[in-house]
Amino acid sequence: MQLSKVYGRGDAEVRALDDVSVDFERGRFTAIMGPSGSGKSTLLHCMAGLDAPTGGKVFIGDVDLTALSEKQLTLLRREKVGFVFQAYNLVPTLTAAENITLPLDIAGTKPDRAWFDQVVDTIGLRPRLSHRPSELSGGQQQRVAGARALVSKPEIVYADEPTGNLDSRSGVELLTFLRDAVKEHGQTIVMVTHDPNAASFADRVVFLADGRVVDEMEGPTAERVLDHMKSLEG
Amino acid sequence: MWRATIKSLFARKLRLLLTALAIVLGVGFMAGTYVLTDTMGKAFDDLFSTANQNTDVVVRAVSAFQPTQGGPGGSGADERNPVPEQLRTVVEGVPGVASVDGDVTGYAQLVDPATGDVIGTTGAPTFGVSWNPASTPLTVREGQPPSGPGEVAIDAATAQKFHLKVGQRIQILLTGPPQEFQIAAIVGFGTADNLAGATLAVFDLRTAQAVFDRVGEYDTLQVIADPGVGAADLRDRIAAALPKGYEAITGAAAAAQDAEDLKQALGFFQTALLVFAFVALFVGAFIIFNTFTIIVAQRTRELGLLRALGATGRQVMRSVMAEALVVGIVASLVGLGAGLLIAIGLQAMLKAFGIDLPSTSTQLLPRTIVVSLVVGTLVTFVASVIPARRAARVSPMQALRDGASGGGESLRRRAVGGVVVTGLGVAALLYGLFGASSGSAASLVGLGALLTFVGVAVLSPLVAKPLAGALGAPLRALGISGRLGRQNAMRSPRRTAATAAALMIGIGLVSFVAVFAASLRSSFSAALDETLRADFILTTGSFTPFSPQVAQDLASDPDLAAVSAFRQGQIRIAGKTDFVAGIDPATIEQVATLGVTQGSVGSLVQGDILVYEEVANTNGWAVGERVAVEFARTGLQHLTVGGLYADNRFLGNYAVSLQTYEANFTEQLDEMVFVKAAEGVPIARVRADVEDAVAAYPNVQVNDQAEFKDQQAGFIDQLLALVSALLGLAILIALFGIVNTLGLSIFERTRELGLLRAVGMSRRQVRSMIRWESVIIAVLGAVLGVAIGVLFGWAMQQALASQGITKLTIPPVQLLVYVVLAGLAGVLAAVLPARRAARLNVLDAISYE
Repeated sequence: MQLSKVYGRGDAEVRALDDVSVDFERGRFTAIMGPSGSGKSTLLHCMAGLDAPTGGKVFIGDVDLTALSEKQLTLLRREKVGFVFQAYNLVPTLTAAENITLPLDIAGTKPDRAWFDQVVDTIGLRPRLSHRPSELSGGQQQRVAGARALVSKPEIVYADEPTGNLDSRSGVELLTFLRDAVKEHGQTIVMVTHDPNAASFADRVVFLADGRVVDEMEGPTAERVLDHMKSLEG
Repeated sequence: MWRATIKSLFARKLRLLLTALAIVLGVGFMAGTYVLTDTMGKAFDDLFSTANQNTDVVVRAVSAFQPTQGGPGGSGADERNPVPEQLRTVVEGVPGVASVDGDVTGYAQLVDPATGDVIGTTGAPTFGVSWNPASTPLTVREGQPPSGPGEVAIDAATAQKFHLKVGQRIQILLTGPPQEFQIAAIVGFGTADNLAGATLAVFDLRTAQAVFDRVGEYDTLQVIADPGVGAADLRDRIAAALPKGYEAITGAAAAAQDAEDLKQALGFFQTALLVFAFVALFVGAFIIFNTFTIIVAQRTRELGLLRALGATGRQVMRSVMAEALVVGIVASLVGLGAGLLIAIGLQAMLKAFGIDLPSTSTQLLPRTIVVSLVVGTLVTFVASVIPARRAARVSPMQALRDGASGGGESLRRRAVGGVVVTGLGVAALLYGLFGASSGSAASLVGLGALLTFVGVAVLSPLVAKPLAGALGAPLRALGISGRLGRQNAMRSPRRTAATAAALMIGIGLVSFVAVFAASLRSSFSAALDETLRADFILTTGSFTPFSPQVAQDLASDPDLAAVSAFRQGQIRIAGKTDFVAGIDPATIEQVATLGVTQGSVGSLVQGDILVYEEVANTNGWAVGERVAVEFARTGLQHLTVGGLYADNRFLGNYAVSLQTYEANFTEQLDEMVFVKAAEGVPIARVRADVEDAVAAYPNVQVNDQAEFKDQQAGFIDQLLALVSALLGLAILIALFGIVNTLGLSIFERTRELGLLRAVGMSRRQVRSMIRWESVIIAVLGAVLGVAIGVLFGWAMQQALASQGITKLTIPPVQLLVYVVLAGLAGVLAAVLPARRAARLNVLDAISYE
């Protein structure tokens, strides 16, 4: 998967992203890290087609996102991209099962039954499928959100601080689930986080500061990431 | 606190506007009604005082009672004995009298020379008067006052509308045979072109006396005093000279009385319009209540924060109520302004219908201002009390918790409260319809209907969820948008129910009117089938009576077995004013089945009265008994009960012979004439005969039974359309309510919408989801409304069964159309909120910072 992008807001404004150029390889779990205001989320939004860059290009596979219309972007999000957000991930009126198949329902396609079962079994929520989000714990909700991101077999899944609202045990469960999806099914995942522990589940960490890619690290551990972060901030 | 209130108001301008609009429309309609009717009243005051300004004293026969409607000809003539010529001489002899004019008034309807059609079919009076040079209220606009037989003056409005010129010849329908006249003048009433839509034919005195059958008589005398003699003084002097049965009043008093009569009719009109304004405000109250409830729920965190910072519950409550107060005052003020425009619009509409008002300044009385402001503000304020109390109960802890919109009171309390209110409402309604005396009945029925609506609105959240689910069930087949729309409509039953309740009121009333109209139609049709045996029915098609000459002309036709005329006037009997029918005892039984149980129709020939059996039983009257009957013209008479009949659908409660009728009423015009063909004569020939005979009377229509039914159904449909159109205002306000609720819900669900957009929902799908939610709410309201409407319709029909509404007919197609239209209106109401939801910036929607 090829991705390069340049981003700048106006002339004198805050340059949330300053000529960032970065690739995320297919079938790998990449974490983006950086202090607050480093442009992590902006980068993620641009890459997902949620936000339009002021300059530069974004590719998912061969598709240039910046050349797509609003309608085409919607279709792209529906078919090629999966999302896991920090909070408020689920539609409260739908059951867990319905939330998982939501992207497919929106597209009007039938879920692949075997794949759906496999995903559901992976998150271990089969007995709770008919429950509403309000009847699930935060960790359970976030795992449903993860399953929803995977069920349409997207080319890439973006996760924006997915553990931000979870206790550590639930966080580990979710991250394990994401890592397994990459290992076992060759899923591509890009995750924004500021938590070194979360980053340690990734195959690779990209560090961002002041809208630039400042460094990256292969096979991270929590300690190494933490050290690196300290050096960036210091 | 005040600053927070004001800021919160201005932070939500659009919402404020939508909320206020409900009150603006209601208050506007109310103020408009007052302004219009006040202006009309003032105009009539001016008119009649100008009309009588030359007259110092009016002399006339005493009227035994004031009928609730004018003469049966709609001529506006009082039912009084005429004043004989000799009396004029007597009055002229009273010292202080300068001159005496006598005038006569009667039925005279113009025929358009261009088309041969009658002029004045809107039901407005069509009358003729004598020209009194000294005391006339009329001003000649063109030509010379009519003088001599064959000359007439007509009102300027008619002349203008039908392009009639001085010198033109015109046919005029009279109580006797029609006659042709030459237009000598065009006249106006001061500055007005006509008198509230009435058409006018003015003859010189001798001609008027001849055509109105008053030779040697007058209806009233207008007396002008010698200089220096006061009107009251002269009145007393004249009164002393008058024989029994006649009275003298001052010109000013006569003017006031005339104006009062017209203003009484105006009062009905005012009350009718105010009812619609009230319905609109009632619906508006629901919208206010709902909006404030949602706002309080959405501001729970903010209110909790205020509490945490030390604000008391009372302070929070007061801040919400203050917000309502400001909205109420502002909306009422705007409504008052809108009312002036509405009044001008209504007046233009009346003019388009041919009702020209004398010009006068628009009347904005202090009463209008006070009532509009007080009612508008009060309604808004009261509607905010419950939401405000809910706000006061927000605990400081809720500032810290997420998303919580609290549970509120228990469902059980709601169920009990709702059942109690509904029960009270239904009880008041039924007692008003069946039990109460006529005085308090109307207000009891109104109160009952109001309480029923409130009660059902309180109960509706209990059924809103399953009902919305059931109504939305078919939507599940339409994919995710339909499914989510349905779920959204179900997720907050209280909000859905309150929004739907506003629409329920409008649809409920419209459905009620539809059921009632359909029942009226089928009851009327059944009454005709069961009582009428005539082959043809002659009427004018506008509820105006016509010349008895028609029946006389037909009477000699050998092709006809029977020609029976039917008149109607008012009497006072057993302490009530009621209608009496004038019928022909010789022929009536050939054209109608009366169901006489005791005595006979033939007894009418001796001047007896026939009475409806139930009325006779209530009053304990038996055949042969003498009962006291008061006629406006002839005063108290004692008539013998000649017979009883079991079916009052044809005759009403009382009937006398045409002869008795002629002896006791001034105006002799036929309401209907029934024709029965002779045995063996082809019906087509009979029809041709009858049509030939009425050719000279373009106002008379010849209908067979089926056509007559259609004609009556047409009247009912017209009325139905008018009432439904006026109720449309309430429905419009309810739609604003849906727009408002959806808008607020979307604001609340910003994140959720963002999420849906992020995972690939297209704008079109978002719009369709909001649309379906709106449709479900609208249809829910419509279904509840139709149910209540049918219930009201049934109750009304039952209550009026003894008045001839014997059949209950529920028009399924029409009611279904209402539900479908409500659904379509739901689509319309969703346009703006849906567009707003679809335009949400996905990024803003899902960011947390």
